[in-house]
Parts: sequence; structure tokens; C-alpha cells
Amino acid sequence: MTQSPTLSRRSTPSAPSQPRKSRQRGADARAGYTFLLPWLLGFIALTVGPMISSLYLSFTNYNLFDPPKWIGLDNYATLFQDERFLGSVGVTLSYVVFGTPLKLAAALAVAMLLNSARKGQGFYRSAFYAPSLIGASVSIAIVWKAMFGDSGPVDQGLSFFGINLGGWVGNPSMTMPMMILLTVWQFGAPMVIFLAGLKQIPADLYEAASMDGAGPVRKFFNITWPMLSPVIFFNLLMETIHAFQIFASAYIISNGEGGPAGSTLFYTLYLYLRGFSDFRMGYASAMAWLLVIVVGIITLIFFKTSKSWVHYSGDSK
Amino acid sequence: MINRRNFLTTVALGTASAAVLAACGSPAPAQTGSAENPVTINYTWWGNDDRAERTRKAIALFESKNPDIKVNGNFTDFAGYWQKRATEAAGGGLPDVMQWDLSYLRDYGQRNQLLDLGTVKINTDAFDKSLLPSGQIRGKTYGIPTSTNAFAVYYDPAKLASLGIAEPDGTWTYKEYNAFLAEVGAKSNGALFGGTDYTGIWWMFNIWLRQNNIEAFTEDGKLGFAKDDLKKWWNQTAALRGTPAIVSEERVTQLAPKSPFGSNVSATESTWDNFMAAYLGDSGAKELKLVPVPSDDKDNLGLFLKPSMLMVASAKTKFKDAAARFIDFMVNDPEVGQIFKTSRGVPASKTQRDGTTFEGTDKLVVDYEKSIEKYLKDAPEPPIVGFGTLETSFKRISSDLNFGKLTVDGAADAWFKEAEDLIKQNA
Repeated sequence: MTQSPTLSRRSTPSAPSQPRKSRQRGADARAGYTFLLPWLLGFIALTVGPMISSLYLSFTNYNLFDPPKWIGLDNYATLFQDERFLGSVGVTLSYVVFGTPLKLAAALAVAMLLNSARKGQGFYRSAFYAPSLIGASVSIAIVWKAMFGDSGPVDQGLSFFGINLGGWVGNPSMTMPMMILLTVWQFGAPMVIFLAGLKQIPADLYEAASMDGAGPVRKFFNITWPMLSPVIFFNLLMETIHAFQIFASAYIISNGEGGPAGSTLFYTLYLYLRGFSDFRMGYASAMAWLLVIVVGIITLIFFKTSKSWVHYSGDSK
Repeated sequence: MINRRNFLTTVALGTASAAVLAACGSPAPAQTGSAENPVTINYTWWGNDDRAERTRKAIALFESKNPDIKVNGNFTDFAGYWQKRATEAAGGGLPDVMQWDLSYLRDYGQRNQLLDLGTVKINTDAFDKSLLPSGQIRGKTYGIPTSTNAFAVYYDPAKLASLGIAEPDGTWTYKEYNAFLAEVGAKSNGALFGGTDYTGIWWMFNIWLRQNNIEAFTEDGKLGFAKDDLKKWWNQTAALRGTPAIVSEERVTQLAPKSPFGSNVSATESTWDNFMAAYLGDSGAKELKLVPVPSDDKDNLGLFLKPSMLMVASAKTKFKDAAARFIDFMVNDPEVGQIFKTSRGVPASKTQRDGTTFEGTDKLVVDYEKSIEKYLKDAPEPPIVGFGTLETSFKRISSDLNFGKLTVDGAADAWFKEAEDLIKQNA
């Protein structure tokens, strides 16, 4: 706000009009903030406030009922001796590390297929996007559970080909592939963003490459990938953060327990169980803050390394 | 003149002030209702569809007899039930009246979340005097039991007959019980499991401890048994795990929240005797029977009547009178007994019990509780704070044991670590 008079002075050479412009700008800013106010109040009251109080609670033994008592770093120290916590970290990391790249690969592949103009394009785009609209819903998790259960369609389909895995839902070594398939299937959102990015790549680049005799693989790695790299970076970042937050599907598929044998005990699910089943809200707050910090660090690493592989148009590289 | 900005500001201010005025100016909700203007109380319970159906009937009956009160009912399964209550308690919004379990009575009662029912009018004259203390903590009554439950082993006579296995007579040692489970698995060629791993059920363990004259918890809220006791218990079915004698943990996981027995996957199940109606409904079986749990000491079955399905009210309810009348109705009214029969257990109030006709399978449950009368001992005290968590982790660790993720020794270590941590936390 304080900058606006300076800005207007620089941009408007004629002196007489200055005060009126400035007043106009001040009024605009006021109107802007007025319109922002409902969101801002909500943001402070519903997001910032609880975050600060949870930071405080993470240093206490708060149990939902009794007034919290300060215990310093005890919660954070106990975390690393808690086998279930370490288990949940392992489960979540393998989900992020395997699920996210697979999801992005699927999204990119389908986006490239849909990029070329052909009949019924609109239909295909909608059809591939639909799962990500309904994917986070409770009903899909229930359907997923039924599909991968004993004698469910997946079990029967695989049996037809002589593969007898039984139900995936109850098998500790098959639940992770099942959860990853669920997230890969919801590739619609990154796909749409990829599609928009692909449209931005000038066609003449491909034409020139064709004339120089480049094949599709070469074109992909030398044109599509670098030209799309900001979009890839954006999607990678968003999907990674998103993957760390997986909760609802795991909660429903494992009946809120993180089973079988802890194989779907994702970080946020354990956090929830600690807070709301065991009444260890201080502990759960510590877990939440640790997650914020770790995701923050991972984001930072992504940004640092991005310089070497993300190319923005106009860069000298 | 109305320009757009002025107009919007006026609307915004108007809306805001209306909200503020509404918040300040609305009179406190009426404590009592009338037939024209009834009060609404929320009631929540856990259970399956069968219980939901019966509860709806009971609510309709209550509303017709009490036109000044409306009851808004809501239910979930047992595991999700307690997470919801914790969330509500933290936000200060527990439902007015709730079905409650002994496992969680201390957690909420000692933390002033539940109404002292001694301060409202509920008739407890028809209750056995030995039964009421289980709903009381430090002289305050937090819960009134609707019924009593005893532990039992259920079996499906038709399934046993088709396998050519004789029905058990209920006088069996653990060794005989194990042999029975193995026989079912072997004779059915794995098509039918014997039963779930009974060592994963906390109350079976508790009963076994009592058969060996050990109390699970000491009076000062510590563990009353040693790690070796737990190891011995979990070793009891070591030879059966992974065989058709015991339902595979994969199946248990997939069927949850339904039970293997209710899903016709196993021939027996050890649990509270009030599950009869639920099992009949889930499995579609014509008849189910129940016998006492095994014991190596045939004079000490370790059994007791557990006051169950307690009715409690939120300490913050605005409608104490309506809540009290609904609780009184649910525990005492003979017609409510007719609706629920034994699906909550055998009615605890004599008025309700005498007003209910028990026939068929319901009679089996009542007869069962009569048949074990001479073995019954006093019910344990309301368990320690955090007991619900311990019960859940007992089941979870036993499941890990069945998945082969833990050895018996590792499982006992894991449970003791969690239990000691919890007791320290709540000390």
C-alpha cells in the first residue's frame, strides 16, 4: 500500500492528476482488502490459528480432556523409538516414491496421446479426467476394497490367467500395489495440466526436428521434455506433497486400522489414530509438525535441484 | 443514490450485524418441550443393521409416549464409534444420550464428560444392587446398564452336523477346544475354519487370567499379570495359527467390520452372548447355540456378568430432563425389552426382564446365563483409563502375530511396551 504513491508518481508524468490517482488507488486497495477480508479472516481463524496452537500442543501432553502440560521435546524424542511410527514412515515413503512417478508417467503418456487432434477428443479427455474428480471420495475407496477383495473382479480376472493371488485387501504384501494403483488411476488432474503444457510447445520445433530426421524418441527427449519441464516440475511437486497427505482411502480400505499387519498405516492415518483413538493429541501434533517440516525440506530440495533440469523459456541455458 | 459499492457494503454490514444480533439475542433453548414444540435430543449407538432397526422401533415408541421429546438417532460400528466420540468431546459436542461400553467409562467419566445420572430422575429400583456399581466411579453414577452379557462360545449346529462333528457340551479344556477347532478345519478340508484365534480377544485372556486367579488390573490401575502370562496365553494357539483351525488373518481383515462367524466362514466364535441376534441376522443361520468358554479348572470358569450397553448422557446436555426420561425408558420399559429381546444382552432391569417373553434363540441366551449362574463371580471394576486403547492394541498385535510379523515373545514385548507407556501417560 505504501508503495502505490511512488509507483503512480513514476508511471504518471503529469503532476496535477497525481493526488486524484493516488486517492483512487487507495480506494481500490481498500476495496480489494475488503473483498479479501472474508477469506483472510477464515484463513487466520481456521488455518493459521489452529496451526500455531498445534505447534504449542506438540510440546505438551494434551489428551483432549485435561489442560495441556508442557513436556518440552518429549513427544518428538519418543517418536523415533516408536516402532509403529517408523513403520508408518516406511509405508508412506514407499507410497510417495513409487506412486508419484508412476502417476505422473501415466498422466504424461495419456496427455500425449490426447494431444493429437482426432475425433471424439473431448469425450476422451473427460473420460480420463473423471476418475480424479471422484477419486478422493469415500465411495471409490469402498468400490476399490470390493474390487480387490476375495473373489472380487480383480481376483477373478487374474485367476482366469492362472494367477492366484487371492484378495489383495487382506494380504500385507499386496495392499501397497493396490493403493498405488488407486492413486495412479486418478491421474486426471496432472494430465490436464500436462495437456495444457503440451499445447504451449510451438509446432515448428517438431517440424524442424522432423526435417533434420529426428525420430519420436529423440523429439520427446530433446523437445517435449525440456519444453515441458516447468510443468513437469509443478506436477511433481504438487503430486509429491499430495501423496504425503494420503488418508481417506487408506482409512476406508483398512477399516480405520491401518492393517493388515500395518501395511496401510500411512503417516496421516497413524497421526489420526494417535490423536483420536488414543487421545494422544500432543503426540499427534508433534507428528503433524514433523510432516510439515519434512515436506518443506523436500520441497526445498526440489527447488534447488530444479535449476539443473527445469528450463524456462527466455533462460539463457 | 445506490451505487454498486455502497450497495454491497450495506448488504455485507447488514448480514454481519444480523449474524451478531442473532448470536446475542436468541434466547437460551428451552429445557423442556411441549407436544406442539418438542425438544430434540440426539442419541447415538454402535451396532449393525439389526440393532438399528430395533432401536428405531424403540425410539418411535418413546416418541409416541412422550410427544414433547423428539429423538434423533445415529449409529456406527464399534471401532469408528470411539473416534467419533473423541472428536465430539474435544469440540464439546457429545450427543445428549449415548450407548456406552465399560471399556471407555473411566476415560470420559473421570474427565467430566458424562452427566452424573444420580442428579436426575432415573428409576433403578428394579436393578440387582450388585450390578449398579460397575457404572459408578468415585460415588458418581455415569452409566446405567441396559443388560448383562456373559462370554460364551457360539457354534452353528447345522454346520457341525454336516461335517459329522458332535456338538460340544461346554465342558472342555483349552486342549479339547483346540482339538475341536482343528477337527472342523480338517474335516471341512479348509472350506470352513474352526474359529477366529481366540487368543486375540482381550476378554478371553481376561477370563483365562481369572481362571488362574489373576486379576488383569490392580486396584491402583497397574497391570496385574506378568509378561510370561501373556506369552503363555499367546502360545496357547501357536500350533493352530496358519492352519484351517483358525480363520486366516487375511480373511478376518477383508471381512471387517463383519465377523467371520457372521459371514459363515467359521464354525465357532467366542464373544459376548448378546451377539445372537446379530449373528443370526448376518449369517442367515436357522439356529445358533452357545456353550461356556473352555477352562482347565472345571470348577472355575472365570465367567462373570458384564453390565453392558450402558446408557450415558453428556455432561453438557441442555436437556437433562429429556435425556433422563429417555434413559429411564430404554432401561426399564417392558415394551423396549420386547423390541430388543436379547440383542443387547439379557435385560438388567427386572421390570424389563419380566415384561419380555423370550422364545427360540432368545431363550437360549437367557438359559445360558442361568446355566452358568453357579460359576459367576463379581464383575471386574470399570477398567483403567485408556483401556479401550489397550483392548484395540491387543487385537492388533495378535493380528500381527497371525500374519507372522511378530513372534509370541515379540508380540508380548510390543503389547507391554504400549501398555506401560499408556499407564505412565495417564498416571
